[in-house]
Amino acid sequence: MVAVVNRDEAAFAVLYDRYVDLVYSASVRVLADSQLAEDATQDIFVRLWRRPEAFVADRGCFVSWLMSVVRNRSVDELRSRGRRQKREGTPGSETQEAALLMLPAEGDDPLRAAQVHEDQRLVRRALVDLPADQRTALELAYFGGLTQQEIAIQLGEPLGTVKTRIRLGMQKLRRALQDKV
Amino acid sequence: MSAAHEPTPHITQEQADEYAIGALEPEIAALITLHAEDCARCRALVVSSQRVASSFGLATPIRPAPPHLKRRVMSSAGIRRFGPLWTVMRFTPAAAAAAAIVVAVASFTGMVSLRGQVSDLRDDNATLGAQLKDALSQKIEIAVISERLQDSEQAAAELEQAAQSDRDLLVALLSPGSEVAELVRFDDGTSAVGRLVWDPEQRRVWFVANRLPPPAQGETYQIWLNSAGRFVSLGTFTPDSTGFARHESLVPEGLKTYDGAVITIERAGGAIERSGPSVFVADLSNLKRER
Repeated sequence: MVAVVNRDEAAFAVLYDRYVDLVYSASVRVLADSQLAEDATQDIFVRLWRRPEAFVADRGCFVSWLMSVVRNRSVDELRSRGRRQKREGTPGSETQEAALLMLPAEGDDPLRAAQVHEDQRLVRRALVDLPADQRTALELAYFGGLTQQEIAIQLGEPLGTVKTRIRLGMQKLRRALQDKV
Repeated sequence: MSAAHEPTPHITQEQADEYAIGALEPEIAALITLHAEDCARCRALVVSSQRVASSFGLATPIRPAPPHLKRRVMSSAGIRRFGPLWTVMRFTPAAAAAAAIVVAVASFTGMVSLRGQVSDLRDDNATLGAQLKDALSQKIEIAVISERLQDSEQAAAELEQAAQSDRDLLVALLSPGSEVAELVRFDDGTSAVGRLVWDPEQRRVWFVANRLPPPAQGETYQIWLNSAGRFVSLGTFTPDSTGFARHESLVPEGLKTYDGAVITIERAGGAIERSGPSVFVADLSNLKRER
């Protein structure tokens, strides 16, 4: 990112190759539309090139920040079109599918690629271990762009129950991922 | 602030988690974003929660991005590492040097056909002509990109202005002298919610609402202050595409009493006198007054 701040085009191309599949995949997950996901992915990387200073290194790791940008950009697109994504399949089936679709990062650093794969494996394990109701509430918020109130309405549950599930789910994830990713 | 999940001056872990996972109402999330910009402690909390929340993105099944997307991104970013202009500037001196060598060898040995040399030079000339044409197209494209950059800068300036307004609202919310009045809906057929934030020191009032239906074409929302039975307009507003609305205004000079506020639907551009149906109403009789 330092190189990108210094307008190094080659560095930006490396950054793009390293993260485009992750960005595109997360965007498809939210938008359920490959064309919209392409547009969102393009917008994210172009903004990253034009304003790389938006990521400040002392405010967390780059991948977490990038995931936050992808999620927010994709949900904004979802909300502006007034749609709600229909969930397809169960969270568990997607996690199993993920194990088949992990692809090696292109070229530059095999050690880094192995680390990324290990991180993904740990993260997916942590999500599978969550109780289903907590995972559902978190996924509806993260991928569906729903507020707590909207989740409560969709699930037919009290708002307090939804808030508790989100709180407990995030607590469990935090404990599971602490010092591992 | 009355709602349990609205942020306090220092946010809690639960609020940070709800923010990071995206479960908060947009206007509340916007307040947390603004606060975290200036508060290192809360920013650290938010960053930690975002790291946990990012696990959902990281766990997403990977789909390869289409190959053409890279060209789209690089083109939109204005990145041209090996464009025609670069090729022309590298190729022209080399082409001139190669032609000079060919002519020199032919004049010494007499073995090269002059007709063939002329034909080769004509081909090289045509290639250079095409590349110069491409360079001109690139120059035009750069001009278009520059114009888009100017538009982006203007959009950024507008965003900065909106961010300043958000900060002013946050300061008002944090000020001990400010008060919040809840707006009561008239029409229970909608799920709209609204609040008035009153800063008596600055004599400024903010109206914030969510899930407001858009007004019909040719109509607008208008906010009125009821002062001893006289309705004074504080301006008009329209909600954005998500139903979120925010309106800020100064309390007119000379108003000493304000018993209530009402939001009505009026004709576009606003009405001089209140005439349309009411959407929200608030009781302001308990707010602090100027002495």
